[in-house]
Parts: sequence; structure tokens; C-alpha cells
Amino acid sequence: MDVQVYRVPMQRLIQGNGMPQESDHGVAIVGMGIVCSIGDNIVEFKESLKKGVSGITRLADRKGPKLSVDIGAEIKAFSFLDRLYRYSDIPETLLQKARHCAQRSPFAIQASVLSALEAWQDSGMVARENDPERLGVIVAGESTTQNYRYGLHAGFETDPEYLSPRYALQFLDTHQVGVLSEILTIKGEGFVVGGASASGNVGIIKAVQLIQAGIVDTCLVAGVVADLSPIELQGFVNVGAMVRGNEFQTPEQASRPFDEQHAGFVFGQASACVILQSCDVATERNATVRSTILGAAMNLDAVSTTAPSASGEARAMNEALRRGGVCASGVDYLNAHGSSSPLGDATEVEAIKQVFGDHVSKLRVNSTKGLTGHCLYSAGVVELIASVLQMEGEFIHPNKNLENPIDHKLRFSGARFEKARIALAMSNSFGFGGINSSIVFQNAC
Amino acid sequence: MEKENIFSVVKEAIADVLPDVDTEAVSIEQNLKSLGANSIDRTEIVMSSMEKLGIKLPLVSFGGVENIEEMVDILVDA
Repeated sequence: MDVQVYRVPMQRLIQGNGMPQESDHGVAIVGMGIVCSIGDNIVEFKESLKKGVSGITRLADRKGPKLSVDIGAEIKAFSFLDRLYRYSDIPETLLQKARHCAQRSPFAIQASVLSALEAWQDSGMVARENDPERLGVIVAGESTTQNYRYGLHAGFETDPEYLSPRYALQFLDTHQVGVLSEILTIKGEGFVVGGASASGNVGIIKAVQLIQAGIVDTCLVAGVVADLSPIELQGFVNVGAMVRGNEFQTPEQASRPFDEQHAGFVFGQASACVILQSCDVATERNATVRSTILGAAMNLDAVSTTAPSASGEARAMNEALRRGGVCASGVDYLNAHGSSSPLGDATEVEAIKQVFGDHVSKLRVNSTKGLTGHCLYSAGVVELIASVLQMEGEFIHPNKNLENPIDHKLRFSGARFEKARIALAMSNSFGFGGINSSIVFQNAC
Repeated sequence: MEKENIFSVVKEAIADVLPDVDTEAVSIEQNLKSLGANSIDRTEIVMSSMEKLGIKLPLVSFGGVENIEEMVDILVDA
């Protein structure tokens, strides 16, 4: 497929003053790792995408009252140690460190450790002497310890004295920064970013900027699994965003992005990590570059509500294209935010039409949320990985449950796997509070 | 006898917090630091032991403790 890629000359090299070089060069994706409802690792996830496997089932039994929602795409049968020791190609010393740091940690941290190790191994950084001060880590997700805290509440009511001293560390989202940095010996910048459902993309955007600004060479971005407590699950139902599940015959039918019957998002769980690296360093160490991020942008609608805005979404997509130095007609594939929300889906369709114009008849569009549910904080990282896997495998995964599209101009992928070559892709994530984000990336090859 | 029982409860707590330690080989004269416990691990072992025994003592009571035996003695007296 011929793709016109227009590079805009935008060099801002600061030279001769001893400052790090700043540039608008692309940033390489050199490692990926995932633990989610449809795959315990990248290979399994790719197979599930190809086959259109859904991870949505009835929710596992939970403590507490009966909720208005009983479906979700949860990570099932989770055992940290069992999964850790499946990583047979990771050096024993690293596994020991991971075990020591995370064996007694909440589920959300353990899942991050597993996907981070897979990504680190994939990047080839494991087998290498790295300068720790040139490595960064960004943990994408906010309020990630809700279910852990909920689980402690009953005991705390009767015996607050017995609350584990570890709690004071573990309830902070930044604890993940500490754990991942200790395991992987990361000593550059590290912090947590929150962007509601766009958190994953916000993490990726900030990592791209850290690398482009010359602050670090390599940055791990960890999209944290949403371990929602019953309170958050009920809260999302009460605000009208989450589908209850009983509207459909089977749980699998409930997540239906861009379909006439869409009725809200389905709760999904995934821990997903990517390793981003400056192209210069990736080239120098002969790394396998899986994809290159050309442009990434986020903005706000200046609203505090759940309402989406087509103009804000279009602005994010246009800015990502501009920063990448590419034009809309060059994009082959869009991994939409597509959460299965009636208003959200319709708004995104409008924004896509604003950005792509007539090109919508050629642009392939799907939403991974039809398979994984909405993975909230990690969604942006999950969907970047899904997009890269589709580029590499030359396919487009099915749009599960898309039977009657809400729009007939857009070229949505169908109910079955399709062969397709993607040279240039975009991935969108939008969050409550008027947060819009978009990333543009190209096939490495 | 009481002291031995409490020592075995403390060893259970050590096993929970430090899964790599062979608690059969732990003697009462040892200190927790030498078993690889950091300050949070040590506090957690004390609190977990108290919880298993149904004892509530302020943490400062264990401030000057030098080894496992001194910790056990405080728990015996509680």
C-alpha cells in the first residue's frame, strides 16, 4: 500500500550550550507486555485479537452488596508467583527481585510487574548494561488502589491497630513507581499520570515528550489494571456510563462499539506496558523496533463533566497528525476510543469525519473494547499494543457485535478478521473531564 | 511453654512476610534484620504476631528490641 507521508521540517535542535538535544524525531516502541482478559502475554493477546475472542463474562463473586452490574472482562485465575515463573527466559536474579518487591503487593501492582517484565524482556534491555539515570518510568492510572482499600475496610472497622504498616506505602499510586524502578533499576524521572479513561495515552504522550526533550533515552509506560471496588462499579452504572449486562442475552454481546444497540461501556481489566526509546539509542543498540510514534497530543475541553466534544476530539487528532508531520489522508487505520457509549461513539464518529473528510471511506476503524471491554486507565496502552500487533500481523481484528453500524460512511471492520496492510495508524483515548488524546504511529518496517 | 507457643506464632508471621526464610532454621536469639527484614517487614511481623495472638500493644513497646527473644518476651508479658 502506498502511503503519502509528509514530514514537516520541525527541527528544534539546541546546540552548543551543553543542554540535551531537543528534537521532534519519532520515538521507537521497542518492548510490549500485557496481562488481560484475553491473553496472559503478547502472543496470546495477538491470537485472541485475530480470532475475535471476547473476555467478557459474569463477574467473579465479590464481597459486599449485590450491584446493578454483573458483567466484565476480568483477569481470571490470577496467581502472581505462578505467572512470574512462567517467564522462563528472564534471568533468575530479576525474577527474585520481582518476587521480593511484589509478592505481598496488591493485585494491581503485581499485574504491572508481570507486564513490565514481559515488555522489558521484549525490549532486549534485560541483557544489557543500562545507564539507570537515562531510564524513566511513567505509571498511567489514578485511584488504582480502590479495591485493595475496600477489602481492608471491614477489618479496619474493628481493629485499626492491625492495619499493615505497608498500607501507608501501598495506597499511594506512586508505590508502583517505586516497585517498578527498584525491580528494573530505573533512576531517571518517574511519576504517575492520570487522565481518566485516557490515562494510558497520557502516559505515552508524556514519555514521548521526556524522550524528545532529551531527559531520558528510554521510558517504561505502565498502564495500570483497573481493580475497581464495588463502589466504583456502582458509580459508573449510576452515572449512566456502564452497561448493566442484563440488557443482553450473553455478557459477550454487551460491548458493542458503534452498533445501534450500544448501551454503555463494559468494565475491562488489563495491565499493559510499553518500552519507548529514542530512535537514536534504538538504532545504536540494534533494537527490534516494533513501531515508531510520530506524533502524540492531548487537550482539554474545559469541562468538568462526562460530556464528550467532537471539536475537542478532532483537535487532538489534528494536533497528533501535525506533530507527526503527516496528513490525515496518509492514515490507514484508526483504533477508536469506541467505548460502546451511545453519546461517546456518535461524538467520535463526528470528530473522525471532521478530521478525515472523504478519507473516511478508506480509513479502517475498529475498537478493541468490543473484545477487552473498557480497560479504563490502561486502555490507551492496550490499544496501542493491539494496533502494533495488527500492523505486524497485517490484519484488522473484528469489531465484535457491530451488526448495525450507527454510521454508514465510516469503514468499520466487520465481524470477522480481515487481512490488511497498515503503514500508518492512529489511536484515540478520551476521558471524563474533557480529556482528549490521540497518537499517530507507523509500521517499523 | 507459653514462650515456645508465642515463638512459633512469631515464626508463622515471619514466614508470611519473608517467604524465602526457612523458619525451621530460625533460632530465638537471631534478629529479624539478619533474616533480611527491612523496617517495614519488621513492623509487619510484630503487628501480624499481635493480630494472631489477639494482643494490642503500642508499637513503641518494641522500640528497644534487639532480637526475636526480646520481642517474644514482650508478647508473653502482654
